[in-house]
Amino acid sequence: MTWLLLAILAALPMPGTQFKQLPDSKGKAEIEHACYTCHSPDLLAQQRLTPKQWTATVEKMMRWGAELKESDKQVAIDYLSRHFGPENRFTPTATTPMK
Amino acid sequence: MDRRTFLGITAATAVMPKRLLQMNGYPLNLETPLELLTDYLTPNDLFFVRSHWIPRMPDLKTWRLTVDGEVKKPLKLSLADLKKMPLAETTCVLQCAGNGRGLQNPPMPGVQWRYGAVGNALWRGVRVKDVLDRAGVNAGAAHLHTFGSDDPPGKVPPFQRSIEMEKSLDDCILAWEMNGVPLPPQHGAPLRLIVPGWAGDHWMKWLVRLSPQKAPQSGFYMDTAYRWPLNPGAPGVAFKPEEMKPLTELAVKSNITTAPKAVTMRGIYDIRGFAFSGAPDIAKVEISDDNGATWKAAQLDARHSPHAWRLWHYRWTPAKPGRATLLARATDSRGATQPRETVWNQSGYLFNGWHSVDIEVKA
Ligand code: HEC
Repeated sequence: MTWLLLAILAALPMPGTQFKQLPDSKGKAEIEHACYTCHSPDLLAQQRLTPKQWTATVEKMMRWGAELKESDKQVAIDYLSRHFGPENRFTPTATTPMK
Repeated sequence: MDRRTFLGITAATAVMPKRLLQMNGYPLNLETPLELLTDYLTPNDLFFVRSHWIPRMPDLKTWRLTVDGEVKKPLKLSLADLKKMPLAETTCVLQCAGNGRGLQNPPMPGVQWRYGAVGNALWRGVRVKDVLDRAGVNAGAAHLHTFGSDDPPGKVPPFQRSIEMEKSLDDCILAWEMNGVPLPPQHGAPLRLIVPGWAGDHWMKWLVRLSPQKAPQSGFYMDTAYRWPLNPGAPGVAFKPEEMKPLTELAVKSNITTAPKAVTMRGIYDIRGFAFSGAPDIAKVEISDDNGATWKAAQLDARHSPHAWRLWHYRWTPAKPGRATLLARATDSRGATQPRETVWNQSGYLFNGWHSVDIEVKA
């Protein structure tokens, strides 16, 4: 029993070592390629945006250097809108205190 | 300690281990769980972390703070040079401008902070005024431009800012210490700007350059981001940058950190929290259990310094069985009172609507 509890304690990851996994569906590969260079998937998975807001955000990121082909843009926006719309609920990963 | 106590302690910590909430793994953005914000000085390892980009950690042997721009004598100062100057310290609140964005409706893009992008710490270093006096600021330099060492990729705009010279000379500090230990890397080592009473976007981390100038800094993080509507509109309304001004002072706010989930009618219960504002002090914190119809004063903790938070506590006696909702609201030393609803703004800054907790009251 004690060991089990201690194991749970030890299981908290160090900050920045574990990330949310994005759900599998059409557009995930494009997102991973275009967005993971500059931030972890957590930042995407916590948003609660309308398709209009996602379009503006993706276009801003493309201006800032996200590698997303113009022809893949809509697939990416659809993916983000499908999974991270206004009703989205997000539970952040709990990490260890930061020394 | 006997076996049962040991198991009890282990079980309690396993249920509620001290932890941070990861909002972004890189660059690092970490929120403190609200229920852990119960200390007057927030421990460094639990203090929230906000980064726009990943910093380059300098070699302290070669690190220098450059002071240039509208000055008579440009300077390059090592940490040792700075440490020879008169020591200054202040205890004050650091809150991310976007703390509470995740509570805004309708939602907007950005880190979806809820309650915990805030903390209170003792900062130690030198006064900005003492450093600028050594360089001799030219007449007419009205803005202090500030630069950190984080250098973003691609066409990402650099996080560069400026603050009014008047504020920087008044009470700003260049800090190398946080709560009595060297500033940790994630909090801006080796040097960070402390701007008491103002939102975190002004508190430049990984500071490498100060430059007094006649005009404010330009760029994305001055001209587009971190602006506040001149005349705030209804929720959902978006303003053009010229209809907004740079956001500066924090808004008056209080949060409840400690409250029981379930109680009985026969007890008196301890409710705790913190309160702060852009004003130097909090005048009162009040609690309501009837949806704001009547309010009773909470007890303010004696510990304080200008722009630090005030811890408070309140002894609550349930009035009737059922679900009770407790509300907290703060009033600052200039008379501003926390509003029921926050002022909605398109970037979700400075959320300060009344905070509530629900408590189950059993007969
Ligand atoms: C070249 C680097 C870069 C790439 C690639 C990139 N971003 Fe960003 N992103 C940023 C920066 C910088 C910010 C602002 C961070 C800050 O201020 O904290 C940001 C912020 C965001 C935000 C928060 C809202 C905002 O506007 O601040 C979202 C959502 C976001 N990015 C989504 C994406 C998506 C989706 C992709 C892939 C299509 C992507 N990003 C690719 C650099 C990048």
